[in-house]
Amino acid sequence: MSGFETPGPVLRLEKVTKIFNGSGHPTTAVREVSLEARRGEMVLLLGPSGSGKTTLLTLVAGLTRPTSGSISLFGKSVEEYAAAELQSLRAEKIGFVFQTFLLIDSLTAAENIEIVLRFNGKRRAERAGKTRALLGELGIAYLADRFPRAMSQGEKQRVGIARAIANDAELLIADEPTGSLETRQAIDIISLLHGQAKTRNATGIVASHDLRLREFADRTLRLQDGMIG
Amino acid sequence: MDMYAVRTLRSQPLRLVLTIGGIALCIVLMLFLLAVYRGVADGSVEYIRQNPVDLWVLQKNATNILRGSSLLSMDQIAAIARAPGVRTAAPVLFLLSTIRKGDKVGTIFLTGFEPDKGLGGPPRLVWGRGPRADDEIVLDRSFARKFHFQGGEEVDLQGRRLKIVGISGGTNAFVIQYAFVTLRFARHLIGVPGLATCVLVNAEPGAGTGPIREEVCDVLAGLEAYDQETFLANNIREMRSGFLPLLYTVAVIGAIVLTAILSLLLSVNILERRKDFAILKTLGSPMAFLWGMVIKQALLIASVSCATALALFFPLAQVIERISPEVTTISTAGQIGGVVAAVLLMSLASSFIAIRRLRRIYFLEAFS
Repeated sequence: MSGFETPGPVLRLEKVTKIFNGSGHPTTAVREVSLEARRGEMVLLLGPSGSGKTTLLTLVAGLTRPTSGSISLFGKSVEEYAAAELQSLRAEKIGFVFQTFLLIDSLTAAENIEIVLRFNGKRRAERAGKTRALLGELGIAYLADRFPRAMSQGEKQRVGIARAIANDAELLIADEPTGSLETRQAIDIISLLHGQAKTRNATGIVASHDLRLREFADRTLRLQDGMIG
Repeated sequence: MDMYAVRTLRSQPLRLVLTIGGIALCIVLMLFLLAVYRGVADGSVEYIRQNPVDLWVLQKNATNILRGSSLLSMDQIAAIARAPGVRTAAPVLFLLSTIRKGDKVGTIFLTGFEPDKGLGGPPRLVWGRGPRADDEIVLDRSFARKFHFQGGEEVDLQGRRLKIVGISGGTNAFVIQYAFVTLRFARHLIGVPGLATCVLVNAEPGAGTGPIREEVCDVLAGLEAYDQETFLANNIREMRSGFLPLLYTVAVIGAIVLTAILSLLLSVNILERRKDFAILKTLGSPMAFLWGMVIKQALLIASVSCATALALFFPLAQVIERISPEVTTISTAGQIGGVVAAVLLMSLASSFIAIRRLRRIYFLEAFS
């Protein structure tokens, strides 16, 4: 897909604010955040629970619109993308890693990866080949036919990472990727994510409260009460 | 078929089985109603269809024999027979009567005809022969089955003993069945000699029915003559007006129940799996892909339900016919194809109802 070629930064936020108006009480989740991420850069958003990390990630991915400020994704303002274009962008250029893995429990590991490849129109044989290759590359080929309920937490997150990079994502968005893992598994997983991002020259935006992740980041931004400090 | 679509359904096997069972029963109901309708339609007018006469002459304004009263006098019958161009004029008398067996009483549509004229008798004999003498009767097969009458037995018809000499087919009009006796016996039964309900007329070869119709309608007052086609159409229309609305109402209720069951299952599936749908949306799934999954699920359930219904329908229809012999079912490939097509359409409608829920699943639900 050539429509999303990026000459400058992959991602740029300028004075982005997000206010939620739940039950008539406005809550400012993100306040005047500005940041920029270049191709191949790994940015860590470090902050405690409730600091606005996840909201910021959803803004970055174009899943929610900012109340004010501007977001530019792959060189184009998010406002200028039609809903269908944003959907294509997520299918073709963005990969997601979640804290609780969010694998679909009625699909096997291979199917969880393959389903994402269907979104950008890959043919069955191509999907199967790519899925096999990815599982092998991540050392989890043995999980191919296993359902999530039969996997360890670490295995689930490896499958989650495989799913995130299956579409050759240029932007990897990870929300507390080690939040549900033990220390050793956490280090393994962030190493894997970091390695895959670097190998593919993908930009990584990782939100976490885990200080150990700093050593894997090119840049760490501290988030507190919706603001970058 | 999509793996996710299939696996999601299979994850709740009991619910899936109950849904398929419920829908299959709705389909069986629709198939059964159509089969009964077809059986009644054939049984009601088979008598007319199998009596190929040139004209049916009845009292004016009596357009059919199913739900119309017509009485022709001896003079009128004689005048019809004398009309120019008439080769055969066979009077037939229809009346409602009862047959008793033990403490059971069955009502029959007694048809008195003149056997030697060769018109007005049973359309088809499945056993035996037509009545020749006044103490002989032909019973409808369904009626005979229901009351366990055998050929050669005697029956009690309003205090008279008649011997069953034949069993007829195509004479079950569902609410009532035909029985055939001689015209003389039928007239004797009502105690008025010379009466008939209608006269079946065949014209002389090459004569045409024009002059006969002219004589009957213009010269003889109070009579009406219908050609075979018109009279058949009149009777079919009459049968439909009485029976079809009920069938349609029940069939429509069945269709609504089917659509409701399917919509409910699909909607519950979506609600239960809303996190999955939110994840798929977040990962870049086009809406068409999600719609496709719901539609595939609906079509899959509908197809399995149709197959289940067809497997159940034929044995069930046989059992019902055995329990209630007056219920005659006839199923054609066209009927079955129509029901299957309707079910598939209803399943699409169900999926569209359920699909509306997909719009209200938000990306952020994946992050919650």
